Amino acid sequence: MATVLKVASTTTVDRFDALFTLFYPQLFGLVYRVLGDRMETEDTLQETFLKLADEPQLQSRPDPEVSAWLRRVSLNLAFNRIRSERRASARTERAARLEPSALHESDGVERREQQEDVRRALAELPQRQRECLLLRHSGYSYVEIAATLEIALGSVGVLLGRAERAFSVIYRRHAQA
Amino acid sequence: MTINSVVCPDLGRWRAWLDNADGTARFDDHLASCPACQRAVADLRQDAATAGAAIASLPVHAVSKAEHDLARERLTWRLREPTAIRRSAPLRRSTTGLRVAAGSVAAAVLVSVIVAFTPEGRTAAAAFLAQFRSRQVVAIEVSPQSQEAIMRTFSSLNDLGAVQSPRGGMQAAPGQVTVADAGRLIGFPVQTPDPAVLPAGLDRTPRVQVIPAGQMRFTFDKAKAQRYLQSRGQPQVNLPDKFNGASLVVSTPAAAMLEYSSRDSHQSLIIGQAGEIVVDVQGQVTLDEMRDFLLGLPGLPKSATDQLRQIKSWTQTLPVPVPIDKVNWTSVNFQGRHQGLLLNDNSGLGSVAIWNDGGHMLAVAGSLKANDLKVVADSLAVR
Repeated sequence: MATVLKVASTTTVDRFDALFTLFYPQLFGLVYRVLGDRMETEDTLQETFLKLADEPQLQSRPDPEVSAWLRRVSLNLAFNRIRSERRASARTERAARLEPSALHESDGVERREQQEDVRRALAELPQRQRECLLLRHSGYSYVEIAATLEIALGSVGVLLGRAERAFSVIYRRHAQA
Repeated sequence: MTINSVVCPDLGRWRAWLDNADGTARFDDHLASCPACQRAVADLRQDAATAGAAIASLPVHAVSKAEHDLARERLTWRLREPTAIRRSAPLRRSTTGLRVAAGSVAAAVLVSVIVAFTPEGRTAAAAFLAQFRSRQVVAIEVSPQSQEAIMRTFSSLNDLGAVQSPRGGMQAAPGQVTVADAGRLIGFPVQTPDPAVLPAGLDRTPRVQVIPAGQMRFTFDKAKAQRYLQSRGQPQVNLPDKFNGASLVVSTPAAAMLEYSSRDSHQSLIIGQAGEIVVDVQGQVTLDEMRDFLLGLPGLPKSATDQLRQIKSWTQTLPVPVPIDKVNWTSVNFQGRHQGLLLNDNSGLGSVAIWNDGGHMLAVAGSLKANDLKVVADSLAVR
């Protein structure tokens, strides 16, 4: 992930565009994992970048700081959405209709149920644990995780270990229900 | 736990050790000789494997360039809304098709300002003239670069004078109304589709809302314009004195929106109906002068202005900008008699139909294939 954190354009006029171009694709991949729906992912990222537009001082910060902020805000918004059980149900069915390429016809229902179990288990974790877990298993480094969660680098390991323990317990419970 | 007088690494260090993220080698010897740590690491490894496999089961989606560009364009439109409205009105998603339609209509209103000043309109110079009425539609193909240039140019209107929206623009009226009430509010009977041709799964009873009429007035301010043009290095673009105080007025009519949704709200079909968009000029400026000035604004793409100039019945034709990188379009007959546009989102997720029926603008948008959407559009009638 660190390789994409190249320096974006520094002119004021182009800065927002550069940040959007640089970070939208990777944020899309991350948030899509949480929501499993292209439209909801795009809506979440629209809200994220609208918030960024209201933060001119933040935009002028170095790229790694901005990307950490974007990850933090977009994940918060995404998990706020997923906490609603009603939305989760609608999302599952919409995913079946709009995202057929992500699933094989033969095992679509079973896999969708599994994915919903994963998302619900993530949503039950404390905020920092679930974000740490998702970021790590989406390929982010300990440095990036620490920056996103605003914690010391040395705290990432313990947070991750606790998150994986808690997730495993909750996930097995969902899977057996 | 201790062994051989060495303090065991804590949970966090062992977890980082599993990821080779924390000076890993120095713990290897300890692990080999510490049963307690061996059990702890085994548990950590198993939990990490469980969590990793579970999260890996979540599908990934690489965003395409078209999706990226569309999202950027949509963000640009939202950023143009006043901050207070943006913050108080959370984004509401309907369909990709509706998004395309909304963007097209909004852009069309802006572009129609330019249409009002094409060469055919050079005859009048009265104090108040109704210059343009949207009696038919035509596609104007625009590239991504042209879209950006057009939006950038129109955004500079704020720097040439004052923009006012005294009636609040496109805010939806609160609450639902009946189809009959909607007809009374917009001034003509609302057409509804044949329930038999609606896609399976959609409720046959629509949710009906009315968007009130709006108006945008732009008034030139010579001093402000000159300051702006000079700051942009365009001192040669001269705004004559008589432009000072001259106004463009774009009036958007009240619109009825019928939304047919499925029970779980993940699919919907939107049918919009409205009267005409009207563009007027107020002041002592001739159309030639106004046209020359607006078409000479820095940055307006020649490809777009050339297409606008080629519209023969310009005073009655609403140009609909079609982003050629995202939307296919065809010119077709609706309801067997009205020429209009059928737009098909390249992503395959949505289509839009736009046409004019006796002075009334109609649009149908939804997550259907274009041919299926046209069947719904053709079935519209006053029932």
